[in-house]
Amino acid sequence: MAKLTFTVNGTRRTVDAAAGARLIDVLRDGLGLTGTKPGCREGTCGSCTVLVDGRAVRTCITPAAGVAGKRVTTIEGLATGAKLHPLQQAFLDQEAYQCGYCTPGMILGAAGLIARNASPGEQAVRQALDGHLCRCGSQPRIVQAVRAAAEVMRRG
Amino acid sequence: MADLTLLVEYKRREFLKVLASGASLAVPVELQGAETRVHVRRAADGRIDAFTGKIDMGQGLRTLLSQCVANELGVPVEEVRLVMGDTDLTPDDGGTWASLTTPETVPAVRKDAAAVRGGPLREPKEWTALGKPQPNLNGRDIVTGAYTYNSDVKVDGMWHGVVLRPAEYRAKLVSADGQGVVREGDFAGVCAPTLAEARALAGKAKAEWAHEPLPALDKMIAAFKAEGKPPVENNQVRYPPLIRRGDAEKALATAAQRKSLTFTLAPIAHAALEPRSAIASFGDDGRLTIRCGKQAPFVVRAEVAKAMGMKESDVRIIVDMPGGGFGCKQRSDVEVEAARLAKASGKAVRVEWSRTEEFVWSYARPAALIETETGVDASGKIASWRQRNYNAGAPGLRPPYDFADHSNEFWATRAPLRQGSYRSLAATGNNFARESTIDEWAAALNRDPLEYRLAHIADPRLKSALEMAAQRFGYKGRKAGVGLACNLEKDGRMALFVECAMEPFRILRMTCVADFGAALNPSNLQNQVQGAIIMGIGGALWERLEFDSTKQLTTRLTNYRVPRFTDVPVMDVHIVDRREITPAGAGEAGITLTAPALAAAIFSLTGKRTMSMPMLA
Repeated sequence: MAKLTFTVNGTRRTVDAAAGARLIDVLRDGLGLTGTKPGCREGTCGSCTVLVDGRAVRTCITPAAGVAGKRVTTIEGLATGAKLHPLQQAFLDQEAYQCGYCTPGMILGAAGLIARNASPGEQAVRQALDGHLCRCGSQPRIVQAVRAAAEVMRRG
Repeated sequence: MADLTLLVEYKRREFLKVLASGASLAVPVELQGAETRVHVRRAADGRIDAFTGKIDMGQGLRTLLSQCVANELGVPVEEVRLVMGDTDLTPDDGGTWASLTTPETVPAVRKDAAAVRGGPLREPKEWTALGKPQPNLNGRDIVTGAYTYNSDVKVDGMWHGVVLRPAEYRAKLVSADGQGVVREGDFAGVCAPTLAEARALAGKAKAEWAHEPLPALDKMIAAFKAEGKPPVENNQVRYPPLIRRGDAEKALATAAQRKSLTFTLAPIAHAALEPRSAIASFGDDGRLTIRCGKQAPFVVRAEVAKAMGMKESDVRIIVDMPGGGFGCKQRSDVEVEAARLAKASGKAVRVEWSRTEEFVWSYARPAALIETETGVDASGKIASWRQRNYNAGAPGLRPPYDFADHSNEFWATRAPLRQGSYRSLAATGNNFARESTIDEWAAALNRDPLEYRLAHIADPRLKSALEMAAQRFGYKGRKAGVGLACNLEKDGRMALFVECAMEPFRILRMTCVADFGAALNPSNLQNQVQGAIIMGIGGALWERLEFDSTKQLTTRLTNYRVPRFTDVPVMDVHIVDRREITPAGAGEAGITLTAPALAAAIFSLTGKRTMSMPMLA
């Protein structure tokens, strides 16, 4: 076990992390942030995606030690009080989910995209989220939701 | 008094359900004894409590059943407190499968709610909560990460279990030794306070297995025909294995032209995104409680009780809603594993399957061999039709077409693979074979595939769905790369038009019109139908479990291609809302359209008919 200090959803935290621990396990088991979902545990499905310093990363293949001193944003940290983040609100408005298991990772993957590209076209959204699986088949609604959220964010 | 009336009604319904369920008689349906197994009651605080044995795995049942209660009692949907899938608290509404919630549970819940109000069911024109888009009640929790799936649950003092697995697909446990190894039949596993410790114990344990060989997939499918048993007519079961009219053999013998076609389907995996898990614990009273994420809590309870040598009443199953099911989370497996380890250790034990365990140790959608033997009369009309499905099953055998003489048959056989339920069961393969055969005839006779289908359909709603979809798609003057398919499945009428391009193959657009009668929650219905069509892309084009002579080779999502964002075309999925018509369940049927429509599009582009699913792998 080693001490690991990083900022999670705006709060500086220090946790115990076993040698070789993945970020997903530190978040879920160490900090109780279960909105980060395990799906494949090999970086293929995208359901465990969070933001590290604003970039979307897959926590199941990210060594926990690698986020020391960095800022991590999980799904629990996106809303501001009761006010949902525009992506959360757009997913809610479009009902861009069914079982919802992929949704947190999908929203954070989309947040990573919008951070790079404030005005993503349909193809850009599809390309950026291509590594995120939604087995329920909500992809058309997700694309709409991401583009709608980007527009809301552009308008500020 | 009202409660007593409801109880009597509930028992009557259960009895009828047992009588009508046919094949599912193997699943013991018992009256639970508790005298409060009602669907709806007014609580002491004046609010409405509702109960159902059904579960929500993304198909929107919490919302739909809450709408039902709200509709009959005139309360806001959000005020209904609905308990789902707890064998100590809820009625046994049957498994959450086969698109049965809308035809069976919706009327049952509405009736019980109306009884609490003391009036008749509200007519469609009086609906307040049903028949309009109702946002998913889980929505806010889903987008904030607060929604709790079984894999998110922890209980105090919980240990972790790991199951020892053979490398081979079919193996019997010969011996298992090592510190902390629990053995029972072919089960061997270990548990410890942390997952890391449990894995370390599992790594040191020694298990010896005697394995059996596996035949190659093509040989396995060929063997279906040699081993298949002809069906015995029985129209009392949910999926009759023989559906016939007239004398198909005689009509075939006198046909002006005949066609014999053979189709195959590979076994595929569900690949639900959340791996299954369960937490089992024994109480001081000896009762076993299991929290899990399964679709059929009462079936799981019966199976766990049997495996553990306990009375069903001493087992409680509590379902935390699963992150995707699609048929793979019906039977007990991880629950029994957790229970055995809990019993041996005296601890609450959690077992979670890895993605590899999901692929290998769950069951697959059955492989299939499907033959059509068909004939047309001098005018080109299909007059004789025989369809034989080997191994996959009887669902979806009934043709939506008006063939004068037809025989549609399920020939049961033995498969060396673990196979089981999957969204729509055999209806996907049966519609693939049927629609592809229709398409072959249209091509052979130089007839337009839409016009040719319409000439064989008597059902006005199916006709209307095809015509409306053709118009929305802009089918007139159809060009290369366009394909279509339709179906009348589980009382839903649907038509799908697709446009594809080659080099590389891609789906450009899809248009679907679906008529399931009254749309109780139109937005959710659209999501479900659209999702089923998309899920069907994978099985149609790429998905196939691979095996060698002893092992399953497909063990990871990286070597199993399911539909991704860039595979999903622009989609127009339109729901026809027929308010006055009793609604059909819609969770499955859309998936039956995808493969035949894509096969037709590929045929249009290449002139070659793809007879095997997956078509591109």
